[in-house]
Amino acid sequence: MKFQTIHRRSILRQGLGGFAGIALADLLHREDATADVALHHPPKAKRVVQLFMAGAASHVDTFDYKPVLEKRNGEPWDPGETVELFQSQPGDCFASPWKFKPYGQSGKQLSEIVAPLGDVVDEIAFIHNLVGKTGVHSQGTLLQTTGFNLPGFPSAGSWVSYGLGSENENLPTFVVLPDHRGFASNGAKNWGNAFLSASHQGTVLRPSGKTPITDLFPPESDFITQQSDRAGLQALKQLNAAYAARRPTDDRLDARVRSYELAAAMQLSATDALDLASEPQYIRDLYGLVDEGAHVDDTEINPKAETEFFGRKCLVARRLLERGVRFVQIWSGNDNGFPRRNWDSHENVARDHGPLALGMSRGAAALIKDLAQRGMLDDTLIVWTTEFGRMPCSQGSEGRDHNPFVFTNWMCGGGVVPGTFGESDQWGFRPRDREDATTVYDINATMLHLLGIDHKQLTVRHNGIDRRLTDVHGHVLRGVVGG
Amino acid sequence: MPLLACLFAIFAGQVAVADETFLDSVAPVLARRCLSCHNDQKSGGGLSMVDPQQLIDDGYIEVADAGSSHIVELISPSNGRAEMPKDSDPLSAEEITAIRSWIDAGAVLPANFQLQPPKIADRQWWSLEPIGSDAEGELRSIVDERLDAKLAQQGLTALPPADPVTLIRRVTYDLSGLPPTPQQVDAFVTQSRDDPEQAWRDLVDRLLAAPEFGEKWGQHWLDIARYAETHGYDKDQPRNNAWPYRDYVINSFNSDKPFGQFAREQIAGDVLADETSEGIVATGFLSAGPWDLIAHVEVGEGKLDGRIAKHLDRDEMATAVFNVFQSTTIQCAQCHNHKFDPIESEDYYRVHAVFAGVDRANRVYAGLSAEQQRQKHALQQERDAITRQRDEAKKTFEQKVERRAAAIDPRLDALRQKANQSTPPPQHGFHSQIAARADVVKWVEVDLGTPQPIDRIELIACFDDFNNIGAGFGFPVRFKVDVTADATLTDQNSVTIFDRTADDFTNPEATPVNIDVGGQVVRIVRVTATKLAERRNDFILALGELRLLSPVDGTDGTDVAVGAEVNASDAIPPNARWSPRFLVDQRYHRLSLNQAEAKQWKQLREQRRAIVAAATTPEYQRQIEQWTKRLAEIEQELSVIPPGQFVYAVATEFPKQGKFLPTKGSVRAIHFLNRGDLQAPGARMLPGAPELWPGGPSRFVDREDYDEAEARVALARYVTRRDNPLIWRSIANRIWQWTFGKPLVGTPNDFGRMGMLPTHPELLDQLAARLRDDPEQSIKSIVRELVCTNAYRRASFADGFEDITRTNLTIDASNDGLWRFNRRRLTAEEFRDSVLAVSGTLRTGDRGGPSFQDFVIERPQHSPHYEYDLHDPNDPASHRRTIYRFVVRSQPQPMLTTLDCADPSISIARRDESTTALQALAQWNNRLIEAMSKRFADRLSAETTADDEAIRLACRLAWGRDANETERGPLTELLTEHGLETLCRVVLNASAMMYLD
Repeated sequence: MKFQTIHRRSILRQGLGGFAGIALADLLHREDATADVALHHPPKAKRVVQLFMAGAASHVDTFDYKPVLEKRNGEPWDPGETVELFQSQPGDCFASPWKFKPYGQSGKQLSEIVAPLGDVVDEIAFIHNLVGKTGVHSQGTLLQTTGFNLPGFPSAGSWVSYGLGSENENLPTFVVLPDHRGFASNGAKNWGNAFLSASHQGTVLRPSGKTPITDLFPPESDFITQQSDRAGLQALKQLNAAYAARRPTDDRLDARVRSYELAAAMQLSATDALDLASEPQYIRDLYGLVDEGAHVDDTEINPKAETEFFGRKCLVARRLLERGVRFVQIWSGNDNGFPRRNWDSHENVARDHGPLALGMSRGAAALIKDLAQRGMLDDTLIVWTTEFGRMPCSQGSEGRDHNPFVFTNWMCGGGVVPGTFGESDQWGFRPRDREDATTVYDINATMLHLLGIDHKQLTVRHNGIDRRLTDVHGHVLRGVVGG
Repeated sequence: MPLLACLFAIFAGQVAVADETFLDSVAPVLARRCLSCHNDQKSGGGLSMVDPQQLIDDGYIEVADAGSSHIVELISPSNGRAEMPKDSDPLSAEEITAIRSWIDAGAVLPANFQLQPPKIADRQWWSLEPIGSDAEGELRSIVDERLDAKLAQQGLTALPPADPVTLIRRVTYDLSGLPPTPQQVDAFVTQSRDDPEQAWRDLVDRLLAAPEFGEKWGQHWLDIARYAETHGYDKDQPRNNAWPYRDYVINSFNSDKPFGQFAREQIAGDVLADETSEGIVATGFLSAGPWDLIAHVEVGEGKLDGRIAKHLDRDEMATAVFNVFQSTTIQCAQCHNHKFDPIESEDYYRVHAVFAGVDRANRVYAGLSAEQQRQKHALQQERDAITRQRDEAKKTFEQKVERRAAAIDPRLDALRQKANQSTPPPQHGFHSQIAARADVVKWVEVDLGTPQPIDRIELIACFDDFNNIGAGFGFPVRFKVDVTADATLTDQNSVTIFDRTADDFTNPEATPVNIDVGGQVVRIVRVTATKLAERRNDFILALGELRLLSPVDGTDGTDVAVGAEVNASDAIPPNARWSPRFLVDQRYHRLSLNQAEAKQWKQLREQRRAIVAAATTPEYQRQIEQWTKRLAEIEQELSVIPPGQFVYAVATEFPKQGKFLPTKGSVRAIHFLNRGDLQAPGARMLPGAPELWPGGPSRFVDREDYDEAEARVALARYVTRRDNPLIWRSIANRIWQWTFGKPLVGTPNDFGRMGMLPTHPELLDQLAARLRDDPEQSIKSIVRELVCTNAYRRASFADGFEDITRTNLTIDASNDGLWRFNRRRLTAEEFRDSVLAVSGTLRTGDRGGPSFQDFVIERPQHSPHYEYDLHDPNDPASHRRTIYRFVVRSQPQPMLTTLDCADPSISIARRDESTTALQALAQWNNRLIEAMSKRFADRLSAETTADDEAIRLACRLAWGRDANETERGPLTELLTEHGLETLCRVVLNASAMMYLD
């Protein structure tokens, strides 16, 4: 009975927020969790990649073409209502600095800075009528990563980990590839487990870092050698196994013995997943990797470096997905420090969005093509998102302020029906049909649906409420899932 | 317990049997699914259903014809989605059928019927019942009797008492969070042989009296208080003054503060407490949760997003108070009445009104500390001494100059008098505050209100006789001019049109400085000084007039700056001569000398400057510079001594920060919000709380201009009333949990109908009554009784009891009956503290005060990066107990996080106890463990001489006991082959270390 497993877990977790013996779903009941993972209906997708553009990527400069802005560039912008913006007063109509042209069979209009996605545009479902709740970065980011605009809720990746468990216990179920220049707003809260078990938190992996996963390997030490490390683990296993044997009926103690074995296995698996040297040159080229690797010059923001940074993460993501990681979250852009290295282009859209979008689209297109050629695109869902959009009017002369009133998400693979679902108005200011906007709840409901989960049934009781990723909202986007 | 049906208020009380269909099956659906968007305050589509007759009048219902009724069309789903209820699940088929049949039957309504939101009125629920009186007798015996009776009833057999070694390790961790030392274990075992009861009582008394008790139990409280030392959200800036609250919690547990007082102080201690300082610090509870800096400081209440942030902020406080003290989920009533508990949505907003006057901010809670006072006094004395010396030297120097300039001074004076014949206008211009150093950045700007084309900018220096400077007074030495067309000038939107920040600018004296703008459209013009003008001994920025000349055909232009708004980084208080508005008042000094005189005057002044220069010896100059430098340093050091000691708490007075303004005690108007939507406000709400028990006060004030302090005091009193059944049960349950490892009610923050039921309700009430009726309301005395029960002292496993254990497990697998002790893993903090303690590294006496940081902050200016990898684990500053750690929200401590330490974004009533591969990696490979393994090894080398002794000591320190036969083999082999450090690394990772039997 597939339905029952999730339901059983919901009951077990009632009010506990996870506790001894229950939270051991992590290691103890791992076989159980993977063997009869509980689905509400047959899944189309088995795993997810979430691409997150930190700082708020402009929809009108990338995927949502607005010819009227070109026509009225520089003219006063009159949306017919008073608009309250985050930082500025609305300026004039501001045409995108980039040209748009149609791509693919569908003739979907894309801006030249996301042109690399033109090759795969017919695989993508665009949703142009997303709406947010506020124009504050922290809240927008949390809303898109956790479904709530305040801290204290599990990340979508944590929910997927909780719902589906692991496909490979030698690797974390939920992996996060942050921008190496710093965390976006809220930091680790964007991949936190909150009231779910710690085993569902996102594990940060830094492909170019000294240690890709915190504490994956012993630190530099004058007493830890390969021999002493191995002998130590061997002795530890004997001690802990004896301790467990002396205290039967306590599964936690056996789980603890296994946790060290899995830790050792993870050292190998993670190293293997990160070994990009084994990738042929044409694949490295596809993702736009360069010989300098992470040391590529980015004193001035530039497309080559951004492509390397984002492309490398996409390639690592593919290798992780191949090895059974359920959910990979990839970040483009860091905090709001200066010089700017994120999408929050208040001052100058051309300066930031150009390189960031070229890097992102090259990496994302490569990931889509690469998954497709391995037969994995069918059951891997890619979700592109950001905290909100940017205004069709100018801030200063070259920037754009926040637009929480409408923005774009896109989904690809994993059973998604390509096309355009939901449109914004002529300006890209609000949804075309204000009564029928899409929310993050709908995106998450759709994601879970594709994974075989009914978003209303994946619940955990916490402080008196049966919490869901979709709060009390959310509709599966029927067009996107094909009925 | 049956869940209650919705309650409807029926006006006139005359419910005819007229239409039972409507009352039974239609009205509840309309109330539950439609009313929240269609009511008198929020009438979606212009429809209110409060009077359902409206449905008929407005044509939604065709009486007796469901098929052509618009409402039926709206609610009938296609493809799983109906038009109404909007953005929600469609009504069920039965509900739709009921509505259809009612319409078909004529849509008859009871007379004077009004639809009201569904709410729960039933207070028949275990946690809301009054708590009986305290039973006679020793609590420990009562507890054992009750537990034993239930065991017998369920056919469970208790395991025997644990051995003394297990017991001392268990109770020492439970009451101090640290391992017992081998000496303590030996002494206890010896004493237990003679008189086990006395030995146990002595041990428990010692632990309860030790300061470590507060450090262990304080952590439990900080978990539920969602305590951390950064704001969270965007930027996650540090909160450097949060720690006094942490110390308050620890001290309160150690001093065994009466629990009612402890609770009251955390809500309104600043008003109520006997000791005001302590009371102010206590309100650090309300402010402990996350705070959205950007939304409060940069967006502000002038915008909807800023008001949303304030709403979330109050929601956070209300949630904390009710979850922690009342075990009640008031937050569920934000968008509708609570679906399961008797809390109406209005109640929720009444609690918002309680917090309508406070914000989270730094607040002075005590005068300067002794150290700060000493420091301040020493600096002031040094400053006075240097000033005297310097004035003396300057006087001598000036006398020397006057002698040498005797020949030209009369002529200079004459010219000066003439120059000032047309007296400079008394309205000199703008004057900044005084700075101790030249490199303090100051600015002044003119805001035209609307963008306008500007030809050129004219800067005119002030004329002031201060120190005989005359024209040019206060003119910046280095400066730039920025402009923007936006409403605020920022680094991002400004254009620099004049930049002399790289080298000194010659003082223009009476000559206007012209800057060409070329007709650009600007709104704000800002002059930023990067090197200030020197006065006698300090530095300022002053400017006489700032003229903005707008292009007018054929003329020199009009000064459009006249009367415009002037803002500045700071200014001296306006007086007759100086005011920001004098910068744009068209009154400025114009020289009254002819060209020849002006030239001569300038020459004479140059001559005099030359005399001054010649009189200045290098020695004199060096001395003056040294004094000036030191004086500036002293001013700087004095300026960072705060007005007192700060705590991050709730406050009504604090310095304005951007758009974050103090309420100064006034209250923000709180309105009922339909569906929690700030854009759908209803009636004004006044402070109050849900009436959760009969007679509980639920309305605190009755006038709109209430005092916020009065409202908080009322809430504090409401929470801690003797007849409030929730608070006493809530804390009793937590004390039980923190002693036995598992609460009696599995949901400590929720005693409502969505929570769990108590496993031993009578025990819970007994504890609650004892604490409530104890004049001292002493937590320690309850804890003492609990650890002295037989139940606490049971073994977690026992030889010869394997069959009994198996049988018991089939009856009570989760050990709710406490037939054995609950084995538990060390908490994250206990593990780290133990590693430091057994390696001899823990600075045990280093208690309280600012937190240690086990990370390095990079890029602190904007969004600090908290880099744990860069911290040196051998840094002695970090060798304190983990409760004194600086807790970061956005970037939690990696090792402690894998060990399930609490997430400070939310109130954590029970911690998870996960077992993961990442945890194994952290314990095995973390740099702290590596470093402490070495120190542990050093300690063993120093204290033992033989291998078997070293192993024995290592295990006794870390595990509380010697290695057994099975363990000794692998440990000996490891020590022989790989040395002590590796042995220690293994000992610290052993399950024998990590678990408490």
